[in-house]
Amino acid sequence: MRIPHFLSAFAAALALACTGDRSKDADASTTFRVALLTPGPITDHSWNAGAYSGLLEIRDSLGAEISHIQTKTPAEFEENFREYGKRGYSLIFGHGFEFQDAVRRVAPLFPKSVYVVTSSQLAGPNFAGIRFAFEEPAYIAGMIAASVSRTGVIGLLGGTELPPVHAGFTAFRDGVRRVRPESRILVSFVGNWDDASAAKEQALAQIAQGADVIFQNADAAGLGVFQAAREKTGVVVIGSNSDQNGVAPDVVLGSVVIDLPRAYLTVARVIRDGRFTGSVFELGAASEVVRYVANPAMPGRVPHAAQVTADSVWQAFVNGSFHLDPDEATRETSR
Amino acid sequence: METLLTAFLASTVRTATPLALASLGEGMCERAGVINLGMEGTIIAGAFGAAVGAAAGGTVLGIAGGALAGLVVSCVFGIFAIWLRTDQIITGTAVTLGALGLTSALYRVTFGTQGVALSIPTLAPLPLPLLSSIPVLGSAFFSQPVLTYIAFVLAPVCSWFLFRTRTGLIWRATGESPEAVRSAGGRPVQVQLLATSLSGLLGGLAGACLVLSQVGTFADGMSAGRGFIAIAVVALGRWHPSGILAASLLFGGSSALQYLFQAAATAIPYQVFLALPYMMALVVLTSGRRGHAAPAALGGKLENSLS
Repeated sequence: MRIPHFLSAFAAALALACTGDRSKDADASTTFRVALLTPGPITDHSWNAGAYSGLLEIRDSLGAEISHIQTKTPAEFEENFREYGKRGYSLIFGHGFEFQDAVRRVAPLFPKSVYVVTSSQLAGPNFAGIRFAFEEPAYIAGMIAASVSRTGVIGLLGGTELPPVHAGFTAFRDGVRRVRPESRILVSFVGNWDDASAAKEQALAQIAQGADVIFQNADAAGLGVFQAAREKTGVVVIGSNSDQNGVAPDVVLGSVVIDLPRAYLTVARVIRDGRFTGSVFELGAASEVVRYVANPAMPGRVPHAAQVTADSVWQAFVNGSFHLDPDEATRETSR
Repeated sequence: METLLTAFLASTVRTATPLALASLGEGMCERAGVINLGMEGTIIAGAFGAAVGAAAGGTVLGIAGGALAGLVVSCVFGIFAIWLRTDQIITGTAVTLGALGLTSALYRVTFGTQGVALSIPTLAPLPLPLLSSIPVLGSAFFSQPVLTYIAFVLAPVCSWFLFRTRTGLIWRATGESPEAVRSAGGRPVQVQLLATSLSGLLGGLAGACLVLSQVGTFADGMSAGRGFIAIAVVALGRWHPSGILAASLLFGGSSALQYLFQAAATAIPYQVFLALPYMMALVVLTSGRRGHAAPAALGGKLENSLS
């Protein structure tokens, strides 16, 4: 008698599963479903962590059903974009410039979904890039770094030289030179975004060359830069992408923040309300998505006069009376 | 100039330490005829184990946690590749991929998306009396965390064991001809399992070194290919412990040089510098004397292994 019992239970479960599935399918047309592909771990306190908080914000504020997946290779980018398209997701984020080729290929196949690539200039009927004016707060950070440095040597440390990273570094350098034209600027790249140990050694190498302010943009590897600064007295770090002031409050001067949660929410609202026009989402100083956040645990480190100047330049960015030429940064990258 | 030289040497030793630990483990394993491609997975597991251990009970528990996690991963490899006689290359690759994924997932489960940040206690440098006051060399070589000294002491110990003891002879013979060992009454399977466990222990320590004496946190994929570089280092060191230590230092040195070159602000594209350690390894690998070749039975399967 046991077997039939088991069988009927199994059949009941199967039937339940089927109806469950059907109701979900019916829901699919009405619920707002949002997916996110990140190029790295969401535990990096930086670029990927910010995107994931954005996704959670979309769930909490807009009641969306969400899904996240971590991807590594371009083949995986395409595969997962297809998969989410097939499953009828309304909005699919590819978190970073490196996703744009995959979106260009996959998006036309799934016209009902909208694909959004962060840090990209992409635009089409159902896909678009978000362009963060990261270079505006990076410029401010450069001005502040120059006013804080005692040695006049300033380090830049990145993961790999992606165009958005390059643009940020170029603006930072311009900011430094505006305040101290004679300062020496060192640039190092780890070659990947994971090797925190190598990033730490590279930071130490820059410190050995006299650098006492380091602007890092290396995601998870960047954690090594904070550790290097902790071991050497008088060295401060400027963080990137997320507000990293709390990661190492004793050595972080401030962070060049892209408020990814706010940006994701802004974009998701536009898509949900059907206001998407097929053009690039331009998010700069005026949108409050990008900004420089000073570390509150390190007060009085920046000279007052320098802070006032930096604030006035920031106001000029906000009201549009001063802007950097993004084309110049892009052109230099394509060398 | 002296400070820059000291900085370079210290960076060399720091970069070489995890590599030396992993390579010595891999080298001992290959000497017994097993090529452990799971080394990368062993290192990342060691890093994760060290993070968990150190967060729970300080650096000593961190070291133990790292070694234990490495041991567990290598045992998985050993059970399949040696006991069940699956292909070593494929098994090793699978173990590496599995460990990389599993540590990321476990990290999230254990510490949440916020991670451990930089809150893990780290090993302070342990300056050796007298030696650490030698100018230039002292602070680079003799003012390091304890794991560095372990790596340096381990090389001669491994040498002595392999070439001066009877067990070492059986160990090496297993790498050359397991059949001969068996007909002489030895147990090649046991030797290989032991060798694999040792490589796991040392790989785990290499991971612990990344977390406890370098970065002070765990990051997904922070092993960053060191397990594969270790396999190259073993070949570069001609399968001899002291050669392996020297090759690790050479690799550490060229990495440190690369870091300094990049930081010295030149117009040369950074990719050239990133390739420097690998180019140097290629040059040494091709120019060396053809002395010690790889163990003859390396990567082979044992027949009738349960005898």
